[in-house]
Amino acid sequence: MDPVRILKQIWRWFDDLTGFSQSLGPIMAHPVPKARKTRWFYVFGSATLIAFLVQVVTGIALSSAYVTGSGQAYDSLCFITSSPIGRIIRGIHYFGASAMIILIGLHTIRVYLMGAYKYPRQMNWLTGAGLLLFTLLMAFTGQLLRWDQMGFWTAVVAAEQAGRAPLIGNWLGHFLLAGNTVGGATLSRFFAAHVFFLPALMFLFIAVHLYLVIFNGISEPPKAGRPVDPRTYRRWYHSLLEREGIPFWPQAAWRDVLFGSIVVLAIFVLALVVGPPELGKPPDPTIISASPRPDWYFMWYFALLSLIPKWSERWVIILGPLVFGLFLILVPLLGSRGERSPLRRPWSILIILSVVFVIAHYWVVGIRAPWSPRLDALPLPSSVVGVADGPIAAGARVFYDKGCEYCHTISGYGGIRGPDLSDAGDRMSAAQMATRIFSGGENMPSYRGNLKPEELASLLAFLASRHRVQLPTPPALQGLARQEAAHGR
Amino acid sequence: MQTFFFIAFPYIALILAIGVGLYRYFSHRFTYSSLSSQLLENRHLFWGSVSWHYGITLILVAHVLPWLFPRAAAAVLGDATRLFVLELTGLALGFYCVFGIIVLIARRLPNDSRARAVTSPMDWILLLVLAFQVLSGVGIALFERWGSAWYLSTAVPWLWSLVRLHPDASTVTGLPVFIQSHLISGFVVVLLFPFTRLVHIFAIPIEYLWRPYQVVIWNRDPRQPVSSTLTTSTTVSMPTPPAPNHLDRRRLLVRFSILAGSVSAAIVGIPSIAFLLGLRKAPEVWRGLGAADSFQIGQAVEVSFLDSSPLPWSGVTARTAAWLRRESPEQFIAFAINCTHLGCPVRWLPNADLFMCPCHGGVFYKDGTVASGPPPKALVTYPVRVRDGMVEILTSPLPITSV
Ligand code: FES
Repeated sequence: MDPVRILKQIWRWFDDLTGFSQSLGPIMAHPVPKARKTRWFYVFGSATLIAFLVQVVTGIALSSAYVTGSGQAYDSLCFITSSPIGRIIRGIHYFGASAMIILIGLHTIRVYLMGAYKYPRQMNWLTGAGLLLFTLLMAFTGQLLRWDQMGFWTAVVAAEQAGRAPLIGNWLGHFLLAGNTVGGATLSRFFAAHVFFLPALMFLFIAVHLYLVIFNGISEPPKAGRPVDPRTYRRWYHSLLEREGIPFWPQAAWRDVLFGSIVVLAIFVLALVVGPPELGKPPDPTIISASPRPDWYFMWYFALLSLIPKWSERWVIILGPLVFGLFLILVPLLGSRGERSPLRRPWSILIILSVVFVIAHYWVVGIRAPWSPRLDALPLPSSVVGVADGPIAAGARVFYDKGCEYCHTISGYGGIRGPDLSDAGDRMSAAQMATRIFSGGENMPSYRGNLKPEELASLLAFLASRHRVQLPTPPALQGLARQEAAHGR
Repeated sequence: MQTFFFIAFPYIALILAIGVGLYRYFSHRFTYSSLSSQLLENRHLFWGSVSWHYGITLILVAHVLPWLFPRAAAAVLGDATRLFVLELTGLALGFYCVFGIIVLIARRLPNDSRARAVTSPMDWILLLVLAFQVLSGVGIALFERWGSAWYLSTAVPWLWSLVRLHPDASTVTGLPVFIQSHLISGFVVVLLFPFTRLVHIFAIPIEYLWRPYQVVIWNRDPRQPVSSTLTTSTTVSMPTPPAPNHLDRRRLLVRFSILAGSVSAAIVGIPSIAFLLGLRKAPEVWRGLGAADSFQIGQAVEVSFLDSSPLPWSGVTARTAAWLRRESPEQFIAFAINCTHLGCPVRWLPNADLFMCPCHGGVFYKDGTVASGPPPKALVTYPVRVRDGMVEILTSPLPITSV
C-alpha cells in the first residue's frame, strides 16, 4: 500500500464529512491585488500572528510547570530553567514576545503609512488597535510573571502608576495588587490576566480581524492621485480583483510563510544562543538593594517618565496612554477617505518618524539611565585622588560618604545624574561650591547642617584640587613638536 | 423568621423587581407611566402630587446618600448641631409627604370620584404600603430619635452585606419591631415596583431639559369646566392593544430570548466580577520588631515583619520591610521603604543621613521630607509603639501616592 494514497484517502473521507475544501477552500484562494514593489511589506501582519501562535504553544508548555503562587513561582521558574529544554522554551517565549512586539509595531506603521485603514477597512484598524493594546499588556504582565525581584517591583510600580488616576487611583492600585500589599493573591491576579483573560480577548479580536481581512479584502498598494471614495471604492476594488487579482493561496501566501519561518527560526536561534533573561533575586520585599528596570520594550517609557518635568508627570502618566489610545481610535474615524499614498500624506511620514525617533532616543537614554544614582559606586581609588592623606584625601572620603559620588562623576568614577566634577577646581571658586552644597537644587539635596566644618573644609579642598587632566602627549606627536620647534615656528 | 425577612425576602424582592421590570420594559413599554388623571381634578392633584413627589424624592436621597457614603455621612453627622438640623428637616419633609399621600388617597375615595375610575386594586395596595412607609418613617423620626445617626450602624451595614452577596442581618435583628417593619416594607415597595405604576420613576422626563421648547396653546378656555362626556372619553379610553399576529409573536420571542440570555449572563457574570473586585481587607495588626534597646539612637535600620494576613502560599512576599530609626530612648519612627514617586525601595545612606531612591534619584532627608528629585511628597510613616521594651509596628497598606 502506498502511504501517500492512504493519506489522500483519509483526507477525502474527512473532507466528505466536513466539507472543508468546499467551505474553506475558496476563502484560502480568494483573490488579492497584486502588490508589486511593496509585496514584501504585506508580511508583517501574518508574522505577528505566527509569533502569537509561538507564544500560545510555548506558553501552554510553560504553564504546565509554572506554579502560580507568590511564594513558589520563583522556585518553579528556577526549576524550569534548570532543565535544558525548559530553558529553551523560556527563551522562545521571551524572544517570541519581543518579536511579536516588533512585528505588530511594523505592521501598524505599514498600515498607517499606506493608508490601509481608510474606507472600508476602519474596523480592521480598530480591532488591530485593540490587539496592539492587548499585546502591550501581555508584555507587561509577562515580565511580571517572571516573579523575581524585578517582577515584584514591576507590580509595585504598576500599582503606583495606577494610583495617579484621579479619584479611583488608590482603589485601582490596590485592586491591581489584589490587596493592601503585594502578597499571595497578587501573582494569581496577573497570571489570570496573562494566561486567560488577555489571550481570550486576543483570540476573539484576531478572529474578527481575520474575518474582516477576508470580508473587505486586502488593501491594494496605494497610488498617489488615486483617493478613496466610499461611494465607488468597493465596486472599483472588485473590478480590480477581477482584472488582475491573484489567488492568496499560494501565490501570495508563500511570502508570509517564508517570512514567518524566518521569524520562527530567528526566535529559536536566539533562544538557543542567548537564552532566556536571567532570573534575578527572589521576590522578597525585604531585599531592598533593588533597582527596578523594565524589560527592553518598556525601557523608553521608563526613560520618558524619568525625564519629563516634574509638574507634568501626573498628567503624562494618565493622559499619555489615553491620548495614544484616542489617536488610534480617531485615525480611521477622521481619515476614512481621500488619498492613501504616503507621498500625498506627508504628515503621516512625519508622525511616524517622530514617534520612532522619540522611542529610539528614549530607549537609548533609558539604557544609560543617567537619572539613576549609581548606588554601587566604590570609593575613589588613590590614583584618582592623587594623595594618600591630608585634607584632599579626607575630602575624597567625605565625597564618597555623603553620597556625592552616587550622582557626580570624578575622572570616570561615580554616577552621571549630576554634573561631572572632574574639573570642578577649574570651573568654580570655593565659595561658589560651598553655596551650591549648602543650598542644594532641584535634583540635589541641601547639605546644610549635614557637614561638620572640617568635613566641608576638606571636601572643598578635594574639589578645588580637581583640574582638567593634562593628557600626556603621545610620543609621535612629541617628535613632531620638537621638529616644529627646531624649524623655528 | 428574621433570616427570611432580612436575608431571603430582600433578594426575592429585588430579583422579582428586576426580572418583571425588564420583562415589562421589553414587552409592554408603553405602560411605563402612571396613568394620567391630570384632567380629573386639577386642584387636589396639584397639592397632593407636588408635596408627595418633592418630599419623597428628597427623603429618598437622604436615605441613599448615607448608604453610599457612610463615612462621609458619619463625618457630617458627627456634629450635634448639624445632626439636629438634619433630623428636623427630615421630619418636616416627612410630614410634607404624609400630607401629600393623604391628599392623593383622599381624592380617590369618593365613590363618584373620577380618579377612582382609573384606580386599579394594585394602586390601592401601593398607596397603602406607601402610606404605611411614610407614616412609620415619621413615627421613627418622632419616637426613635436620631435615626440619621443610628441608621449608619444598623441598616447601612446590613444593606451593604446584601450588596456584597454576603448577607448579615446581625445589625438589624436587635432593632424594635416598629423599625424592622419600616425596613421590610421598604422592600415590599421594591417588590411592588414593576407590578404597579411605580415603574414610571424610570421614565422621569429628563429629556425635557434639552428638547426644543414647545408652546402649549389651549384650544379652549382653561377656566371653563370641561364637559364631562369629553373628560370621560379621554381618560377611560385606553390604547387598544394591536390584534395579536405573527409579527408580534416573533417580537415577543426575540425579546424573551434576549431577556433570558441576559439574565443567565448576569447570574454567572455578576458573582464572577464581584469576586474579582472584592479586595481582601486585611486587618491591621501590631508586629514585634525586637527589643527597643537593640536599636542605636540616630541610625535607620531595615526591619522586616510579616504583613497582616499572609496567605499560606505567600512565601517570601508575605514579608514587608520598613526603615526604623530610634530618635530618642523612647521614640521610634518607621518609614515605608517605598519611594513616594513610583514606589521603588529607597536606601538609607548612613553616613550622609539621607534616603536615596535608585529609580530616578529621589532623595529624602532623615526625617523623610523630600530633599530633591521627582518624589512629590515625604516618605510615608508607619505607626510604631514601644510595649514592654519591645518595638512594635502597625502593618499598613502599601503606600500609593494618589493625586
Ligand atoms: S521611584 Fe523613587 S525617584 Fe522615582
